[in-house]
Amino acid sequence: MALGIIAVVILGTIGFALRSIRHIDVDPRQFMVGGRSFGALFLWILLAGEVYTSFTFQGAAGWAYGKGAPAFYILAYGTIGYTIGYFFLPSVWRIGKERGLLTAPDFFADRYDSRALGVGIGILQFFMIVPYVTLQLKGLQILLSIAGYGTLDSYFAVCVAFLLIAGFVLTAGLRGTAWASLVKDVLILCAVIFAGIAIPMKFFGSPAAMFDQLLRAHPHWATLAPGTAPNGIVWFISTVALTSIGFYMGPHAIAATYSARDENAIRRNAIFLPIYQLVLLLVMFAGFAALLIVPGLNDPDQSFLVVIQRYYPPWIMGFIGSAAALAALIPASALLLSAASVVSKNVLSDGFGLAKSDAGRMLATRVGVIVIAIFALVMWLEYKSTLVELLLLYYNGVTQFMPGFVFGLIWRRVSALAVTVGIAAGLILAIWFSVQNINPWGLNPGIPALLLNVALTVGITLIAPRRRALQP
Amino acid sequence: MVISLQGRILRIALAVVPALMLTAAIPWANRVEPRVLGLPFLLAWIVLWVLLCPVFLYAIYRIEGRRL
Repeated sequence: MALGIIAVVILGTIGFALRSIRHIDVDPRQFMVGGRSFGALFLWILLAGEVYTSFTFQGAAGWAYGKGAPAFYILAYGTIGYTIGYFFLPSVWRIGKERGLLTAPDFFADRYDSRALGVGIGILQFFMIVPYVTLQLKGLQILLSIAGYGTLDSYFAVCVAFLLIAGFVLTAGLRGTAWASLVKDVLILCAVIFAGIAIPMKFFGSPAAMFDQLLRAHPHWATLAPGTAPNGIVWFISTVALTSIGFYMGPHAIAATYSARDENAIRRNAIFLPIYQLVLLLVMFAGFAALLIVPGLNDPDQSFLVVIQRYYPPWIMGFIGSAAALAALIPASALLLSAASVVSKNVLSDGFGLAKSDAGRMLATRVGVIVIAIFALVMWLEYKSTLVELLLLYYNGVTQFMPGFVFGLIWRRVSALAVTVGIAAGLILAIWFSVQNINPWGLNPGIPALLLNVALTVGITLIAPRRRALQP
Repeated sequence: MVISLQGRILRIALAVVPALMLTAAIPWANRVEPRVLGLPFLLAWIVLWVLLCPVFLYAIYRIEGRRL
């Protein structure tokens, strides 16, 4: 029954999305940046739709359940990310409009006058999106396993999740995604209020009483470990810094920015989006409640979904499950679509002269979607980590693009070489730290990598001879 | 659009305050008591600054002479 409700909601949402895009020509500009016509409200919904994902819904609860206070970083980083976006995105948008850019690699290729750099950034973005898609895939798999009340094993569930995501993204483009986000947001809001307020009230009387009990059972759960301890204060601050700097560096966020109608739509968005973070607070309430009600789960990301499965009727499971399913599907489709568009445009078409026609590019985009989804599936099989760890891995990568973006906007002298060396060195260090599982000085490993990146970019720019005057 | 020097400095200062409160001030705020509306203090502190952030951004928006 729960699965039936989820199926009906997903099919209904796809139908709704298809209906709303039926009358619009499906050319690449529409498909990728929505014709640059989105106003503040629509943009708000779209960005929120992509920023609030399975990670929000299950990952934040999972860390509240499994780690406690380190999960609070999730509230902080988005807020700072929006502040950075307020200052940073209007320039990105303006240049995008003036120069007719569609993707982040377009920006690099255009600003640094290097097609090779554009191709390189395109390929990197393609791979970096994989953990973020794996996150959605895992979120959906957990959900289907729980909503199936033990009738589906996890491998079967992940295959269903994979097919759902691929099917969803291939039937609706960015505009379809934005409309579907509207449905999703309403559902999620109801589900989160239920999980964050109704569950603590039923079991403890109130969220405040839940915290009383939580602090009695786990006195250190709501504070950070001191200094350089794992997930301690140093880790917390450096993670907030890293993830807020990289907040808009995903291909999906840049595509959403380019889809804005004007600069002020972006600024107004940045002002109001932090309010959305409150959703995360409620999700963490649900995670804490789950820790007290169903302790000792193998996978902390299951947290409050298990509470609902065990203590509530199946129709509520179906309703919450539908919200969680859309929280995975819609962001996954935006991520896949934007990363695949980048590959078809910047790598195949601009880089190698393939897939030049609109039809060819659409085909390449669709193939790209399938390829990333397959990578994500492989990563799910090979790399068992929590939803939050997957997101942090993604941020270690994408944040390395930020120096190239910011210097590109404010410092004329910076060259393609300086940016390329900076990004390459930053990524190599970040990957090395991740593989060795080292947190130097208790820091999030992305931060030293970012500092190395900035230092090299600045250093090479300063020692390089001033660029020749541009050819006429 | 021209913004005075004071306006520019104020704009940056307003943007930096919530960011610092959510990072640099965390070691100080890292405590359970006093509880605020039942929330442990660290969580309440973070929620407070998340809620104040739109206020700061809106102030910047007005300094830039924009209207909603």
